[in-house]
Amino acid sequence: MILLDINNRVVEETLTVKIKNSQTGLKNESIDITVADFDGVLYHISNVNGDKSKIRTSISLKFYKQLQEHGADELLRREYGSHLITPEPGYNVSVLLDLEDIPQDWQGFVKKLGLLKRNCFASVFEKYFDFQEKGDEGQKRAVIPYRDDETLYVEAKADRVTVVFSTRFRNEDDVILGKVFMQELKEGLRASHTAPPVLFSHREPPMELQNTDAKVDNNVGYVTFVLFPRHTSKATRDNTINLIHMFRHYLHYHIKCSKAYIQSRMRAKTSDFLKVLNRARPEKATDKKTMSGRVFVRRD
Amino acid sequence: MDGKLPACVIDVGTGYTKLGFAANKEPQFIIPSAIAIKETAKVGDTTSRRLNKGVEDLDFFIGDEAFDATGYAIKYPVRHGLVEDWDLMEKFLEQCIFKYLHAEPEDHYFLLTEPPLNTPENREYIAEIMFESFNVPGLYIAVQAVLALAASWASRSIEERTLTGIVIDSGDGVTHVIPVAEGYVIGSCIKHIPIAGRNITYFIQSLLREREIGIPPEQSLETAKAIKEKYCYICPDIAKEFAKYDSDPGKWMKRYDGSNSVTKQPFAVDVGYERFLGPEIFFHPEFSNPDFTIPLSQIVDDVIQNCPIDVRRPLYDNIVLSGGSTMFKDFSRRLQRDIKRTVDARLKLSETLGGGRLKPKPIDVQVVSHHMQRYAVWFGGSMLASTPEFYTVCHTKEDYEEYGPSICRHNPVFGTMT
Repeated sequence: MILLDINNRVVEETLTVKIKNSQTGLKNESIDITVADFDGVLYHISNVNGDKSKIRTSISLKFYKQLQEHGADELLRREYGSHLITPEPGYNVSVLLDLEDIPQDWQGFVKKLGLLKRNCFASVFEKYFDFQEKGDEGQKRAVIPYRDDETLYVEAKADRVTVVFSTRFRNEDDVILGKVFMQELKEGLRASHTAPPVLFSHREPPMELQNTDAKVDNNVGYVTFVLFPRHTSKATRDNTINLIHMFRHYLHYHIKCSKAYIQSRMRAKTSDFLKVLNRARPEKATDKKTMSGRVFVRRD
Repeated sequence: MDGKLPACVIDVGTGYTKLGFAANKEPQFIIPSAIAIKETAKVGDTTSRRLNKGVEDLDFFIGDEAFDATGYAIKYPVRHGLVEDWDLMEKFLEQCIFKYLHAEPEDHYFLLTEPPLNTPENREYIAEIMFESFNVPGLYIAVQAVLALAASWASRSIEERTLTGIVIDSGDGVTHVIPVAEGYVIGSCIKHIPIAGRNITYFIQSLLREREIGIPPEQSLETAKAIKEKYCYICPDIAKEFAKYDSDPGKWMKRYDGSNSVTKQPFAVDVGYERFLGPEIFFHPEFSNPDFTIPLSQIVDDVIQNCPIDVRRPLYDNIVLSGGSTMFKDFSRRLQRDIKRTVDARLKLSETLGGGRLKPKPIDVQVVSHHMQRYAVWFGGSMLASTPEFYTVCHTKEDYEEYGPSICRHNPVFGTMT
């Protein structure tokens, strides 16, 4: 697995089971599940007012207010339409699934629900991609604090959209691994000409973010993507959004995988060394006897 | 906990791994503990053979996907409850967390489980993996049997919540009888019984093979398993049960309808005596296994008699079931009755030996059955990990960096003072 899945498996599988059970005529059972996702997102799947046939999927994002400023509501309305209901207290968005009125294309609908988080994110990108298309340069930069101490900046110019991630490394070693990894990513441009240019700066924010409150810290890294119209056109933008909104986790996932890989190399090396050491152990001097019981005596 | 994301609870068993978020009633995923990797046929030991170049170390599948992948070798990192291959275990956890749970390990506390008699070294290894590779903020390693005890609290009142009891854990392969006193496993008294779900399935399969001819041979195991899960129950007395079936077959005999997986032809199987004979092998093991003839109730009694004398009474009073093979109807009732009989007989004997001058206090025997039995271990973990106390007993990353992996050798017992 190189890329992380963008859909939430728990949400999808739970709802699929529910719908299938209901279609085969089994009795609907009550449900109450709370699961987390990346970026501190919480999903809550429950029944509305104890009615077992109505399943409500709610999502809570800490930074939903910022997303709302960038038109998250409209985008969700476009995606989920009439299934959208008043949000459950404590959550930001709620979508209703009525088991007595299962949509025709329920597989597609369940899939869409699994993408709830992605769709919340998508609004920012879509908005700025549109600005770029119209050549609207005057817009303020979007700032989304997608995690407690990590922020996402999106800015549109006439010929490009710049996306900057700030990410915090919890561990000193991670900084180094992250740097190496980003180096590789820069190389990626050479292999594929259509890849967007990537810049990585450790500690200092990039030029775009100078004179903002962007953090300067030893454990902070900034990753800048420059997206060209090629990436932001209507045909490809969905794919771009899918990839870019997971980038932070992609990076951290690979740092962790590299560590696991380094460790398995170390284990292999250790077992090699142990073998060498065992070979070096002096053999115990035992009398070697022949078949008839006589002993060889060394004469040297 | 407010503002905190729920903890991740991962119970890696020999056969299946149960994973999910704390505070839920059921695990979100139950996947086979299998991993499919590409292995090159070079000489050398396994560790050096697996080293590849590039991103090949990410080329593997876990769980059900492992069985669908062609051209891969399927491995089981866990054997007999203990982790055997740490390389694979690390990879396995990698996908458990990122692909299935969709969780950033830096944000969640983790509760992992271990079998009784796990070595302290293994705890250190798992701590190294969790803290160094995954940067988890906190980790707790719980003993499965203790979690199973905690899971039984769901059906009891608050005053009765103890961490002393016998856990009978019966899955697919082996049944364990594990005594726990105040949250600590009495390791020297654990017993294993070679009778569990798989044996029942085989036994039913052999019964069917003698009688039914319509079952396609390649589906006979599957059919036996389905019959076991659907129709089997525990009866109080086999002789009476036979008589009952013979006098009114229409009421007791069932029919199982299956269809041939290749030709799609339907076939029907009559389900008769195996309904109660199957699970009966727990109490009469000689039916299926000539080498092992001690009934489960006898084993449980032996285990308790081996334990220190001061915990025997509380142990008799709290016998907890866990695992899928204890889900048969009336399992708890039958076990309770059988153990009670043995205990009463012993008390009676001591009374006669004492010449009637001493009257021993009767011993309460109680077998606890509850709704969460099937995934009792995971549920117990989920319940404990959702209490605020969990965060106080966890080993934190700061502690790990200060003192090293040895801190995870000991995990304090908690949850008793609710």
